[in-house]
Amino acid sequence: MITYLDVLKGIHTGRICSERDFDLRTFAPKLKELLKAHDIKYDPENPVPADDGLADDLWNAAMDFYCNVGTYCLDTERIVQFDENDIAQTLKTAPREFTFGEGKQRKLLTQRRPEDRAPPWCFLGAGGAAVSSEENLLRLVQGYASIPMINSLTSPALTTVDGMRIVGGSPLEIYGAIRAIGLARQALSRAGKPGLPIMNCISTASSAIATIAASQPQFGLRPSDGWLCGTLAEMKVDYGVLSKGAYLLSWGANVCSETAPVLGGYAGGPEGTALVNAAYSILGTVIQKASYQLSFPIHSNFQCNTARNTLWAISVSGQGIARNASLPVFMLGYTASGPMTEMVLYETAAWVITAVASGTHIEAEGVCKATHVDHFTPMEPGFAAEVAYAATGIKRSFANELVKTLLSKYEDKIKDAPIGKRFGECYDMTTGKPSEDYLRLYSKIKKELEDMGLEFKY
Amino acid sequence: MNEEVLDRLRSGVIKGDEQAVRLTTQEAMAKNVDPIEIIEKGLIPGITEIGIKFERNEAYLTDMMMSAEAMKAGMDVVLPKIPKDKILKRGAIVLGTVKGDIHEIGKNILSVLLTAAGFDVLDVGCDVPASAFAQKAEEVGALIIGASALMTTTLPGQKDILDYLNFIGKRSKYHVLIGGGPTTPQWAKEIGADDYAETAAEGVKLALRELDERRKETT
Repeated sequence: MITYLDVLKGIHTGRICSERDFDLRTFAPKLKELLKAHDIKYDPENPVPADDGLADDLWNAAMDFYCNVGTYCLDTERIVQFDENDIAQTLKTAPREFTFGEGKQRKLLTQRRPEDRAPPWCFLGAGGAAVSSEENLLRLVQGYASIPMINSLTSPALTTVDGMRIVGGSPLEIYGAIRAIGLARQALSRAGKPGLPIMNCISTASSAIATIAASQPQFGLRPSDGWLCGTLAEMKVDYGVLSKGAYLLSWGANVCSETAPVLGGYAGGPEGTALVNAAYSILGTVIQKASYQLSFPIHSNFQCNTARNTLWAISVSGQGIARNASLPVFMLGYTASGPMTEMVLYETAAWVITAVASGTHIEAEGVCKATHVDHFTPMEPGFAAEVAYAATGIKRSFANELVKTLLSKYEDKIKDAPIGKRFGECYDMTTGKPSEDYLRLYSKIKKELEDMGLEFKY
Repeated sequence: MNEEVLDRLRSGVIKGDEQAVRLTTQEAMAKNVDPIEIIEKGLIPGITEIGIKFERNEAYLTDMMMSAEAMKAGMDVVLPKIPKDKILKRGAIVLGTVKGDIHEIGKNILSVLLTAAGFDVLDVGCDVPASAFAQKAEEVGALIIGASALMTTTLPGQKDILDYLNFIGKRSKYHVLIGGGPTTPQWAKEIGADDYAETAAEGVKLALRELDERRKETT
């Protein structure tokens, strides 16, 4: 079995290779070769394919790809590579169940399967998007925690500390990270869910030093939370991500392998993006010793993943991982549009149905590409959770039809999607309740989904 | 005769075949094909074609990077044979990802598209301090500085570049273009950047527009 120390040794003893040669002479040709050899082809007519053979072919191709390509370490300019048998053995013997949260909110996370009758884990909140004030963070997190189906929180990120803009890598980042954790815990307590795990630790910290500093237990985090340890596009790590791992694994904390293959980037089209996403699941177990994979294949031009080709990549890679990997996988949706628009609810429904029917858990969500400060509310992840429960157990063929209908309502608007309204414009900031207009819109779109045949549980 | 060898050059660049482009360029030179013709009718149409394919989602980043390398292999053969005053350049652009940020896919896509559009791109890499952008721009006589940031907490690195340019008294000399996931037009306005590009293709359009405006000013 490959240990974390084997990985840390490998980054100093692996084959020396320039980053450019890794990208162009190792990664790209092997990806093309394996897509052809395994006959993996994008089918725009079926964004949610119901094809176990395709899912397994993709997984086998991803195994072959990972064994041949390995993981590139940017700091040492070496490729960490292990023997295929050692990789297979490590995957076989890796843990399959992980516990998150405390007290009444403690819960076991395991892998789902395509068309699974068990509902997905609902990892809800802002997807790390930025808020303008501490008051907004408190109010938002309280709202997220009040969603009945929530299993864990994805907290927003602070942009300022006492009016000073947080700069990544600076001492202020450490202050900001500590402040954000304290506020999130406070809001969870206000909502009566103090044990709810925060699984995007620490959204305000980008550097390893800020993550590790703010993770000291006195600031409020616990090993039963989850830490995002982001890989770099594509199949790359650096000292920063491995240092976070060294600290967290020594603490017995849950490491998240955060992976975001870029459609249009090194991974190429939807087929390559799906294959690389599946290969990341292997990397997550072998290199990062992760407790879960948080994946968001993302479109390089649109910066969202609700386009048809990204949904296909989400579905096929999700099915491949769910059917073959031990590491539980979450899909994180990024919508193009913003709050209080019909489009954001259509987009949310499309990616959630895709992910849930394909066998993954959900993180909901990065609203409005998670780029516009305060352009997200608890309504969108709440809607995502309702759709997720309604889509639990449905056949992929039905999911495919639903998603095609939803795509017809928004896909031509992705490029110039409406950014919608700010949190404060569609919520009463005193009571923490959504506006009547937003509630009406929510009910209207929910009714449309019911008319399409989706049965809501609540 | 020339057409056949120029066709092979175009095709070699599109395929990203570095070795073939190097050898074909040498062959063209040996056949006394005008070096300017080799560039303008062989190498540039090839890189332009791959840029068009990228915009149509028919080619992807690695295809473009391999094409750019193939084009460079040809240029390395042909450029020493051309008098400097005959080389038509659109202008130099300094590109990089700001201090504290190591994400560079978007920047790399823009780099190849700008190269395809005829710009001389100086990529300073990622996690780059503001002073390094300015120093490189001064060194190469750049028209434009492009700064990418992919995280909310690294956005201030874009403002740092503007602050640094102001500090050294060179702000007006450069057109500063920003981009990357969390950047917005509002942020560009707030920090005083000249332009904001949501996508790499938009970045190229903005760079070309700026070039045209500079040319109008000088004529």
